[in-house]
This record gives sequence, C-alpha cells and structure tokens, in this order.
Amino acid sequence: MGGSASLLPREALGEYQELTFLTKQEILLAYKRFSELLPKEERENACSARVPKSQILTLPELRANPFQHRICRVFSTSGNGDDSMSFEDFLDMLSVFSDSATLDIKSHYAFRIFDFDEDGTLDRSDLEKLVDCLTGQGEESRLSNAEMEQLIQNILEESDIDKDGTINLSEFQHVISRSPDFVSSFKIVL
Amino acid sequence: VGNLASMSTNGSLTFISFFSFALQSFRRFGNTLSEYFHLLWFWHRALKIIGANFGTSVLSYFIFLKWLLTFNIFSFLINFSFIIIPQFVAAEPNNLSFTGLELLTGAGYFQQTVLYYGFYTNATIHKIENGPSYNMQLAYIFTVGLYFVICFFTLLFSMAKSFCKNFMDLQTYSGNASKILCTWDFNISNEKAVKLKQKNLSTQIKVQNAGAAMLVLPIVASLLNAFIPFFYSWLGCLERYQTPGYHVYVTIIRNIILKISIVGILCYYWVNVVAESESQCWETLVGQDIYRLVLVDFIFCLLGSFFGEFLRRIIGTTFCVSLGLPEFDIGRNVLDLIYAQTLTWIGILFSPLLPGIQFISFSIVFYVKKVSLMMNCQPPRKVWKTAQMTTSFMFLLFFPSFVGVLSVIGVTVWRLKPSEECGPFRGLSSMYAAVSEWIKTLENHTASKWVVWIYHNLITSVLFFFILSVLAFGKNCLRHSHSSLKTKNYKDLESVVLLQIIGILLNTRQQAHEGNIDLNLLVNFVFRIPILAGSRTGLASHQVSTNC
Repeated sequence: MGGSASLLPREALGEYQELTFLTKQEILLAYKRFSELLPKEERENACSARVPKSQILTLPELRANPFQHRICRVFSTSGNGDDSMSFEDFLDMLSVFSDSATLDIKSHYAFRIFDFDEDGTLDRSDLEKLVDCLTGQGEESRLSNAEMEQLIQNILEESDIDKDGTINLSEFQHVISRSPDFVSSFKIVL
Repeated sequence: VGNLASMSTNGSLTFISFFSFALQSFRRFGNTLSEYFHLLWFWHRALKIIGANFGTSVLSYFIFLKWLLTFNIFSFLINFSFIIIPQFVAAEPNNLSFTGLELLTGAGYFQQTVLYYGFYTNATIHKIENGPSYNMQLAYIFTVGLYFVICFFTLLFSMAKSFCKNFMDLQTYSGNASKILCTWDFNISNEKAVKLKQKNLSTQIKVQNAGAAMLVLPIVASLLNAFIPFFYSWLGCLERYQTPGYHVYVTIIRNIILKISIVGILCYYWVNVVAESESQCWETLVGQDIYRLVLVDFIFCLLGSFFGEFLRRIIGTTFCVSLGLPEFDIGRNVLDLIYAQTLTWIGILFSPLLPGIQFISFSIVFYVKKVSLMMNCQPPRKVWKTAQMTTSFMFLLFFPSFVGVLSVIGVTVWRLKPSEECGPFRGLSSMYAAVSEWIKTLENHTASKWVVWIYHNLITSVLFFFILSVLAFGKNCLRHSHSSLKTKNYKDLESVVLLQIIGILLNTRQQAHEGNIDLNLLVNFVFRIPILAGSRTGLASHQVSTNC
C-alpha cells in the first residue's frame, strides 16, 4: 500500500473523496487494485487507462458474482460497447457498493443492474433472467417453465402497483424499502 | 426570584447547547478515529474473508463481537490511566507467594494486587510534598460512573440508529415472492458459497410455490403452545415469518430467560448474602466470584466450539453422513457474548482489571470461532433477517443486560456499606457518600459554586436525564431513518422536532421555577444547532433524483 500513494495526485484524491462515498484508504486501495489489472507499461497512466472487461472479471470480488456482466455494463462509460472500465468508472462502482452509500443510490443502481434489456422497466423477460441468475444455471437448481411462470406471477402481483405488467423504479424502490437487509447485502468491499 | 429562575433556564440552555456541541465533535472525532482504526488490517481481512464465504448473517456475529471488544478496551484504558496507575504509585508491597493455582481461583496472591477492589487505597495520594494530590475515592467512583454514562449513551445511539433503520419503515410485511428482488448477498465471493446459495434459493422458491412451507408454522406453533403458553401470545404480536426464523426467535428467548435467571440469582446472592456477611473484604470476594465466572464461561465457550462444531463435523462426515456439516449457531453464540459482557460490566466496580481480561478472552474467542467456522461449518441454509436480528441483539444488550447491570451497580453504590478494612471507600456509610461529602466541602468555596449547582440541578434531576435520553434517541433516529422524510427539508423538520422537545423541557423547568422563558435565547439556541452533513452523488450521471 505504500508506493501507490505517491502515484495518485493529491488534488485528484481530494476530488474523488468529495464526489464518492469512499474514504481515502478505500480510494488508494482501489487505485492499487486497478493498476494491478493493467499491463506493466500502462501503470503510469492508470488514471486515464481503460481496463477491458475480461480483466475486470478476474477480480475475486466479481469473479463468482452472477451479475458480473450487468455490473460491468452499467458502470462502464465506454462509448463503443466493449464494457471496458476507466478508473473513474471503477471508483463509481465501488462507491455505489460501499458501506456509506445511501439506500436511494443503491436501489437506483440495483434497478439498472436488473434491467437486462435497458428499457427503464423490469418486464417479464428481465425478471426471468434475474431469477435465472439467482438460481444458477445448474440442472438441479434451474426452475421449470411452470415454476418460473408461477413465481413471476407472484412477484408482479405483489409489486406491480399500477398493474401495467412491469415494475418501474418507484415500485422497485418500494419493495426494497421493506427489506432492511438490502443495504448490507448490496455491498462489495475490496 | 425572577432573576434566579431566568438564570437557571439560561443555564439549562447553555448546558444543553454545550452538550449538543460536545456530541457533534465527539462524533466527528469518532469518525476520524475509525478512519485510523482501518489501519488495523487484521480485523478488516478476517471480516472480509468471513463475509465472502458465509454471508452477512454470520458476519454480523463477528461484527457484534468486535463492537463488544471496543467497549472493553475503552474501559480498560480509562481504568488503567485513572485508577490503576495511581494505585501503582501508592502500592504496598505484596507479601503473599504465587502458586499457579491462583490463575484458576483468583484468590491468594491476586488478592494483594490491583486486580481487586480490596487492594485500592482510600487515601489522597501525595507523591511530592505540597504538590498536587490525587483523591482515590473520587477517582474510583467517577471513573466507573463516567464509563457507564458513556456506555449508556453509546448503546442508546446505536439502538436508535439500528431500530430506525431497520424497523421504522416496515409496514405490513407481505410479499415473499418480491423479496427475491433484494436477497442476493453481493458480499459472497467464494464460488462454492455462491453455488450453495443459488441452490438454496431455488429450493426455497420451489417449496414456496408448492405451498408446503405453509404447514411448518402451525406444527411448530402447536408444539410450542403445549410447552410455553406464556410466550405464545407475546410472540403472536411479532410478524409472522413463514420460515424457520420463527423457531429461532423462540429458542433464543428460552436461552435469554435461562441466562437472566442465572445472573439474577447471582446478583441477589451477592447483594444480600455476601455484602451483609461479616467477612473482611466482601467486595474482593464478589470480584473473585465474577473472575471465576468469567473464566469458566470463557472455557465453556471454547469447549462449545470444540464439541458443537469440530466434533459435530467429524460425526457428520464420517459416522453419520446424513447429518452433514454443522451450521454456525448465530443466536446461541451472540447470547453467550451478551452474557459474558453482562458479567464484565457487573464486575468493573469490584475488579478494575476485568475489562482487560475480557478483552483478551474476546480476542481469543474471535480467533477460535473464526478458525472453527472456516474448518467446520457450512454457510447458513435458512433465511436470517440480519438487520432485524442485529437490532434485536442490541436491544437485548441494552435491556435487560445493561439496565440490569445499572440497577445492581446502583444498589451497590447507594445502599451497601463498603467494608471497613479495605478498598477506596473504607469507613464511609456508602460508596456514594464520597461524592456527597465532596460536594459539601465544595459548597464552602465560592469559586466552585457552579459545580454544586450542576450537581443539585442536573445530575440529581432524573427528569433531566430522561428528557436528554429521549432527545438523544429521537435525534439519532431521525438522522438514520430511511423514510421519505430524508429529503432536503429534513433538517428543518429535525429542528422543529428538537424545538418541540426543548419546549417541553423548558415548560417543566418553568413550572418548577415560575420564571420567564427568554424567547430570544430560545431562537438563538435553535440556530446554533450544528447542521448535519449534506447529500452526495456519484461521479458519473447525476440523475439520481427521488422522482416518483
């Protein structure tokens, strides 16, 4: 942890502290882990480099996560759709998943992560893909079509307040607010 | 008379505003301190590994243990600085010999050391002629008293924060299917744990769909109804979980009753039998009893880990394979921690070194439990409502544990006669008499009249403490509530609520003194309340607005 402190400029560090929910130690640790993902030649300009998605997914915190692809897609600001992440994208992700982020921020980003087709609402296909991620792709744990239908029916019955067949952001946040464990489980700490 | 009354309300206001400012700076100091505590890399690593492999529910036990560790280290540090070091300076030589048996019994050689109350002098210590003196009696009672006051407010704040974050927004707890949207634990990074969790979720969904889970509750309820009818009606008021969580609650309550009975009977015995007996130094006897209890409890905790987890794993994998690996029993372990901490709190007055001993024992327990967890246990299968259970544990720590301890200490300090021949309070009619006599001597000095005033009007005023607690609880609750009140306008709302509470406080003072409230002072005070932190947004898109 010692050498990296001199590589991240102090004004940038202060700025990142202001704009994210991360503490100074967390930002420095993020910088260290991010530069380790880069090849040796690029480590000098870690702040402006982009790390390809395949490298990001080697992080132990994301490696086994069923939502890893969605997380990379949501937080990447890469224009050409390759889901690569810059250091600021990486910090953004850690900030949302940090200890001090508010419930509002977390539920907003959770919604975006679960919105597989990115149309702004969670419709049946989104919910199906979500349940598949949660139960895994193994033969035993997959739900049959009938079970999936039943489950999605129940979910929509309980959470779809305006009965339009989809769950929008405020309905989602309403569901989240009834679960006090959400804030502590929607957390990734390096 | 009017002047005096308005002076006293002025005084109350300045004291409250000072207290509020002190709280704010204390909290800011606590935040910077916790940033430096981050350098304790060992805790961070250990907790991260546990959370990654077993999830947030099991992690909550270790976080609770770490929290109790800070209570003990704080107590040890202030006892060491204010009581033990002065006593070393004024120590008499120890004539007894040391045999190894004392480590188990706590008697013998240890009786003439700083471990027990009986060794402490009641003199005012002078090291240098005509130099500053150190009154041991006042130091002893104020150190212990201050520690309990700080504990009280810390527990109150934590309870407020936890309760309001996790209980206030729960309307009717319906919707088991939509819960699936928020159950994924992002902390888990171990592949096997992830697969296990996915399998469990899948099983849960299938069972829920089939409606079989509906049968479990009535069966368990009938069984319990036959055995514990008294608790059933109370439990019926709790939310009806259709999961084994219901069963967990009942088990925990049985354990609590058992432990409360044990501690209650012990305290009764100590206060009524040991203290009244003609023995030479009853406080040291009580201290020794507590030392042995703490030691035996520590040994049983380690044994429990050995039998409950290690042997159970051996049995579950070689002899009786259908049993499988054991799960970490969070409820039972947390109750053991609370029991140990209760004993420590009772023992502080009689054995100032006890928090240090308990700190070491908790550290060993942390390490042993962590190793046992990794080696022997599997991740939890049942759904464990972590946030609510954590809040319930904190409540248990506060009532009956801390409040019970306060009553025992209160009875000891106010009612019991200290022994004649040993300890810092020898010869006095009660331990509290040291303070009241000191106040009497202060009344003769005009320069210290403000101390006497504080003592008479605030410390002895039960009403003041009650309202202060309500204020502290309410303010911290608002700050941590997740409800829609937390908009831009919540600072104004907070000021309004505070204003109302202060109004009540002042009204009662006014009735007592029949003075006038200075409106200017009141308005001035409200605007001096420090403003809490504002909101933060992310680096990228700032479209996170609370739109509906």
